[in-house]
Amino acid sequence: MGIITAETPIGYDLPPVARRFNVGMFGAGGVKTIHNDQAAAEAEGLREPIAVAPQVAALVFRMMRLSFEAGWIVGGKSDLTFRRPVGVHDFCVAKGTVVEKLPEAGGRTRVVCEVSVETEKGVQAIVGKCSGVVG
Amino acid sequence: MAKSSQTRIAEDEYGLRATYDDIEIGHELEEMKWVVTEEDIEKQCQMDEDFHEWYVLDSPWGGRIAPPQIQYRPPRWQLSRTFNVRGLFYKWTLENVKPIKPGDEITVRGKILNKWIRKEREFIEFESIGTDATGDIVFKTTRVHVLDVVKRDAPRAGVGIDSGIKNEKI
Repeated sequence: MGIITAETPIGYDLPPVARRFNVGMFGAGGVKTIHNDQAAAEAEGLREPIAVAPQVAALVFRMMRLSFEAGWIVGGKSDLTFRRPVGVHDFCVAKGTVVEKLPEAGGRTRVVCEVSVETEKGVQAIVGKCSGVVG
Repeated sequence: MAKSSQTRIAEDEYGLRATYDDIEIGHELEEMKWVVTEEDIEKQCQMDEDFHEWYVLDSPWGGRIAPPQIQYRPPRWQLSRTFNVRGLFYKWTLENVKPIKPGDEITVRGKILNKWIRKEREFIEFESIGTDATGDIVFKTTRVHVLDVVKRDAPRAGVGIDSGIKNEKI
């Protein structure tokens, strides 16, 4: 059973999940990409290599799994916007807050959370909503 | 030779990049079969530092399951099989309908849903749906990619080092 239940109040903060990235996490099996190579990034118009977006979003998914357990694995939903790239050495924190509770089939409850991933510079790199099912 | 940042990449080692005009709304992406391996699950857990006994040992669904976000890559491969798009990821919706287990064969079908231009950049939206051998939906996802970092009034020129086409491995 996860942390979140049908009784969890609106405004409850999910446990944050943090990670510092490093370029070695984006090795791509030795292939030069915009995620690990300066020239490849510049060729596409980027100033420097950027983190792989789904690996950054995975901080949110980990937070949702911690919070909802089975209610994330089956019935979890996510709607994310990648607003800013994350640097390959950035420190990031996923945060979430319960904002809504909706009835689901079978008397269950869908708990909707506003989520974000912020960098150490305070940049909101990812924003959106995720939900899991409880009850 | 790559670049200047005043140009958009014209091609890479896999050929010409798909242009905005090449991508038609409603175009179906190449259907693919995907089987998750035990090794794939381990790698996904390592990449995301997301470990749980369900992902490693056993789960309430009978045996090991994969972290749901393992569904990211097959739709991206599917897009690349049809259109050579590097670009950047902009929006991602997903729905975890059924747990993904090692050895399950998942059929992934998708199509281009929409495309638009905003602030001189070109966006495409596609959907992919994964179904298992019994026909049950395992996951649903929609993605929005911007075709280039550089604005669309920049000419296409040069050969990119990177490509949207990658080895189809987790």
